[in-house]
Amino acid sequence: MADLRLENVSKRFGDVQVINGVDFAAKHGEFVVFVGPSGCGKSTLLRLITGLEETGGGRIFIGGADVTGMKPSKRGVAMVFQSYALFPHMTVEDNIGFGLRLAKLPKEEIGRRVAEAARILQIEDLLERKPRQLSGGQRQRVAIGRSIIRDPKVFLFDEPLSNLDAALRVQMRLEIARLHKRLGATMIYVTHDQTEAMTLADRIVVINRGRIEQVGSPIDLYDHPANRFVSGFIGSPAMNFIDVNEHGPENCTSLGAGSASIELDGCQVAGATAIGIRPEHLELAGPEEGDFPATVEIIEKLGAESLVYLQFDGSDLPLTMRTSPEHPLCAGETVHVRFNKDRIHFFDRDGKILNRP
Amino acid sequence: MKGVRAGSRSPIFCGARRMEQSNRFWRTVLLAAPVAVFTVFVIWPLLSSFHYSFTNWNGFNREFDYVGFSNYAKIVTDKLFLNAAINTVIWMVAAILLPTLLGLGLALLIDSRVPGGTMFKSIFYLPICLSAVVVGQIWVWIYQPDWGLLNTVIGLVSGEEFRYPWLAKPDTALGSVIIAWAWQQTGLSMVIYLAGLTSIPEDLIEVCEIEGATAWQRIRMLIIPLLTPATVVVIALSVINSLKGFDILYIMTGGGPFHSSDTLAMHMYNESFKKYLMGYGSAISVVLFLIALTIIRIYFRQLRRVDEIYG
Repeated sequence: MADLRLENVSKRFGDVQVINGVDFAAKHGEFVVFVGPSGCGKSTLLRLITGLEETGGGRIFIGGADVTGMKPSKRGVAMVFQSYALFPHMTVEDNIGFGLRLAKLPKEEIGRRVAEAARILQIEDLLERKPRQLSGGQRQRVAIGRSIIRDPKVFLFDEPLSNLDAALRVQMRLEIARLHKRLGATMIYVTHDQTEAMTLADRIVVINRGRIEQVGSPIDLYDHPANRFVSGFIGSPAMNFIDVNEHGPENCTSLGAGSASIELDGCQVAGATAIGIRPEHLELAGPEEGDFPATVEIIEKLGAESLVYLQFDGSDLPLTMRTSPEHPLCAGETVHVRFNKDRIHFFDRDGKILNRP
Repeated sequence: MKGVRAGSRSPIFCGARRMEQSNRFWRTVLLAAPVAVFTVFVIWPLLSSFHYSFTNWNGFNREFDYVGFSNYAKIVTDKLFLNAAINTVIWMVAAILLPTLLGLGLALLIDSRVPGGTMFKSIFYLPICLSAVVVGQIWVWIYQPDWGLLNTVIGLVSGEEFRYPWLAKPDTALGSVIIAWAWQQTGLSMVIYLAGLTSIPEDLIEVCEIEGATAWQRIRMLIIPLLTPATVVVIALSVINSLKGFDILYIMTGGGPFHSSDTLAMHMYNESFKKYLMGYGSAISVVLFLIALTIIRIYFRQLRRVDEIYG
């Protein structure tokens, strides 16, 4: 069993507390994605698990064993780096078999295992090449090959697809998912790309300022975010936020400011200072059914859908609405927009989500 | 309404053309200066040497005769040339190996964040800032038989008075100069290797850590191969500097005793300026030039190969 457990793990670089008492457990065979904005500490957390950084406090367990003070090579982990970290002077074969050569395994055994890894990753034809002669995707496969050949307890991926172009990223994402399914190993994957997080993860760990904001399945995080940070971070395009007008009428949520405010009758949560609504939960309506009028600022036609950026007087920020591309909208046009009131999220002053009555 | 006449250029186009002409003028002027210096101080002496190698000029008289290839024929039979050539090979091999290995060792030591690393770096680099004459004189003092540092230290360690004329014995003269040379050149190799070490990506070192490489495995399998571009530069500089190595030999031994530290450069000097056989000295210099040219060609070929692997 190769489960991973972090107990109150912390790390400080000088005066900066980078990781702040993180508690987390990943089950054997689980694909966990650490996601968060740049500088949130997700890569540092991964390096703490690998042993490339010493923990400032707390304990790390892999397969039930306390590995906190152990060298990286004794922890039974393998890491795939963003830069691929391939040795430029070695062939693909030598790169993949590097760890086994260090362990002084017999040549036949190394050859057999390299061939097996190459077969899984479909790079059998590239074994004699040097990294310089490979494309980005092929290099990443070699890097993954080097990690799977050691049969580690836990695979660690540090933004492995960031250097690839968009099309290749989608392809490699699929291959990593296939690899996980095939190996059934515990995988920890760090990314700032929440599409990768949503598509790959069994569970997502959202990290912000060295703390875990929320842990859950992708759909759970999308539908039931714990706070405003998670709501804004998970989902693309991001959730729309509108401040609640504190001086609005009773039994209704008044959004925006002054005469341009939006009144949501019969939809109120005590203590709410802002609401959040996803772009697909805003919809076009007739003048009678609409909750508010808005001006179409920009339309992004993505083929299967369109993203419409709306301006309304009560807010400085545009609202994003996801619509069908069939709607004949033009920039500058005034439209009427309706909220799907069941899907509105209410947040208090601290950004915590409020339960609806 | 004013119009632009057909065939006339717009002011913007004319301005661009003037600027291009001005750039071309300054490019020519700025390039002409180094080309002139290079021609006067390198190309012209080189061609002159080649010319005089076919003469019996003594370096003073205006008159000389053309002797064909006889100076080159003399080289083949000249035992002192053979001795100098063997010494040059020994000198070059040692002058390449010692600074390269010592420089690499020191760079690895300093890069491992040894306490006082920056101070050691400055200390080891200092000799390269000194002229070969100064370095030669320092080491003449160190090797001085009666009160030199080396003999004094050996005497203190062994507990007996030790007096050995390092530079006056044929067995040790060349080796002693090589050590002085290595002392001066090691700092340069060290600095080049340190620059090479900083260019090794940190994540490659981390891969070694994760894969469980020992320090020696890391140096052997990763660092030394990745320092190949730096090694090519270090070796090239060592070769070029060792071929030019004349002044330190001149100061420390003058090629003696009994020609035991004579190199080709030293031999060429002795033939040209002590025996006044400028024609024969020129022939030796042409041979030396051809050797240097061959080595430089090999170097550039290697450089291209290294570039293909490491980009």
